[in-house]
Amino acid sequence: MLKRMTTHLLAGAMLLAATGAASAETLKVWSRQTDESALILKTLTDAFTAKTGIQVESYNTGTDFEQRLARAAAARDLPDVVINDDAALGQMLKMGIIEEVDPTKIEGNDQIVPAAWNSAKGANGKVYSVPISAQAFALFVRKDWREKLGLPQPKTWDDLHKLAEAFTKNDPDGNGKADTFGMSVPASTVRGYASWYMSNFIWAAGGNFVKQEKGGFKPDLESKPVADALGFMRSLFCEGLVQPGAINATTGDALPTFRSGQTGIFLSGPYHIAVLDEQPGKDKIEVLPPPAGPGGVAALAEGTSAYIMTGTKARTAAEKFIAYLISPEGQEIGMGEGTGHTPLVRLPINKTVDVDAVRKDPRWGTFKEVFDKSGHYVPPVPNWTPIRMLTAEGFNKILASCNSDIPAELKSIDQEMAAELRKQKALAE
Amino acid sequence: MSTTRDLPLGDDMPQQSTRAKRGKARRIDWKGASIPWLFLAPALVIFTWFKFYPMVSGLTMAFYDVQFYGESEWVGLDNFARAFTDPDLRSAVAHTLTYVLVSTLTASVLGFFLALALEGQARHLRIIRTAIFLPAITSAAIIAEIWRILFNSAPYGVVNSVLDQFGIAPQGFLTDPGQALWVLVLMQVWKSTPYDMVIFVAGLVGINRELYDAANVDGASWLRMLWHVTLPGIIPSISVVIMLSFIRGFRVFAEVYATTGGGPAGSTETIMTHIYKAGFQNLEYGYASAVSLLLLVATIVLTLIQTLVKARLSR
Repeated sequence: MLKRMTTHLLAGAMLLAATGAASAETLKVWSRQTDESALILKTLTDAFTAKTGIQVESYNTGTDFEQRLARAAAARDLPDVVINDDAALGQMLKMGIIEEVDPTKIEGNDQIVPAAWNSAKGANGKVYSVPISAQAFALFVRKDWREKLGLPQPKTWDDLHKLAEAFTKNDPDGNGKADTFGMSVPASTVRGYASWYMSNFIWAAGGNFVKQEKGGFKPDLESKPVADALGFMRSLFCEGLVQPGAINATTGDALPTFRSGQTGIFLSGPYHIAVLDEQPGKDKIEVLPPPAGPGGVAALAEGTSAYIMTGTKARTAAEKFIAYLISPEGQEIGMGEGTGHTPLVRLPINKTVDVDAVRKDPRWGTFKEVFDKSGHYVPPVPNWTPIRMLTAEGFNKILASCNSDIPAELKSIDQEMAAELRKQKALAE
Repeated sequence: MSTTRDLPLGDDMPQQSTRAKRGKARRIDWKGASIPWLFLAPALVIFTWFKFYPMVSGLTMAFYDVQFYGESEWVGLDNFARAFTDPDLRSAVAHTLTYVLVSTLTASVLGFFLALALEGQARHLRIIRTAIFLPAITSAAIIAEIWRILFNSAPYGVVNSVLDQFGIAPQGFLTDPGQALWVLVLMQVWKSTPYDMVIFVAGLVGINRELYDAANVDGASWLRMLWHVTLPGIIPSISVVIMLSFIRGFRVFAEVYATTGGGPAGSTETIMTHIYKAGFQNLEYGYASAVSLLLLVATIVLTLIQTLVKARLSR
């Protein structure tokens, strides 16, 4: 009954779907990328069509992707293949909109680097996606500022703090005004940015979000390493070494402060290389591995995966398309080298593709090295999204107030996380 | 004889014709009444399909664990039980109440005095009124962006630079958990004061001038006139201002989402941002619907109370 009502509720979506209805030979592919990646996806699908004769209708958007999927699901008009973050697996599985994948049916599955498969499994151990791209975080630094002030490349948190302080106080742009800041930080709770960003520091401090135990997961934030990580970040906030408004900033707000020369340090993924080469400029920035915390070097590793959607009538075509995405040819097109656009494939997951040979840019090599040696995926809990949201709320609270009791706050986040894990039937009791 | 026979006839005739007229009038009325509905029909059909029906079916979601592809599961009042025990929602309600009460009160008082000052037909008054009204018609997202720039927490932020002239240290504003909500309240006051003013100006025009003359003759002071003539005369306007401000305030979203996203430290989380996060980020449509339904009920109850109070006051 409700289902039918929901269908009616989304009559608008159905109308749209009806006008775009395609023949059975056509494969519908949705991709969650920034707008400019649409061109790369188009090149990819055109090459696929030329090779196989299967028509592809692609749709690309970076905004409200999950909501659009929810609408399409309610209208029973899902695409056949979705290209989305691998961290979205749990949520999409909960929504009941993705189907199990048999990797042996995907040609070339043996060429995928084994580590990439980790994020392709649901909590039940079954495979629900095929990885097509991987990435890790690294540090973008204003090289011109750093050299002008005569400081070394930051290797530790201490160096990072000193560099941020110098960028804030020593007028690195030489305009005689105190209008620069050290780091550009997205600490908003929106979409869970604070948690996503802080995970780099938590792992570098040697801490964890959860402990995997028999029977499930146990919250593990209330620990010295995690407290150190938040304490370090809070010191940057309280000493005014981050951009103004960082506490409410999303990446969309943080990026412009680095591009416009308001801040000199930006921890982010390789997808930002293209835009940062435009402004502040290729000659002004350098890409460095994240500085080591008390627990060593660590960075958030993420990936993009291809999902086969529930109810698809073009399963074989979908499998062929995914096989093409992971093939050396598909990976190279996806990397979009020389196009100046944000690539669909950041680091190739096909081990026969050599990133240095394709990219001809040592900065990509840095990202690959960080991914290979220091990459951490988010824990494989059934649905990470609500945990990312609630930890973001908690971290934001800690960072917002210079005298917050960090261990007490972490304890309270742990309790909320335990409740959420219990709801997901994944709490180790 | 003829007269005695004529009279009943004469009496009869008009009676018949009246009855006939009445019957005819009734028929015409019925037809007449249906014509507006006929004209309204296309709009009503569209509204029913795209507005009323979705609204009702949206509300029924409150009783389900909404699944997007599989069958949704009936959970009875579970979503409501969760709403009443959710500490985040409780603090969101507290923030929203503070926001609504303070901004309504401040904006309506300011709006009232502005209306008194700017009432009249002179050209310069009209120009000033138009200028003052501009915030009310500017999009919330644009206002939010402007306030983010004005209240930038850097020492060189616009407001901070002004404060610096008075020797006040730079403030955190939207980044300070203790101040963020108040900056948003200020924004709402700035935005709704002119709106309220316009309604009050219209109300003031409707007050009988003779009452002022009579009060003058009686030697009433300005304050007495305000209390005994002006205020009772604009009770309908006050009622409209408060009702609109409540409804607007309880569903505040864009202003908050575009400036702080509910942060810092959850200090600006309102009912609507809470619903948005539950519904569109965690995709818990059932819970989000339940909280929306509660918000609707609360708004209706407040409106009814407000109408009752108004009825009492105007008696």
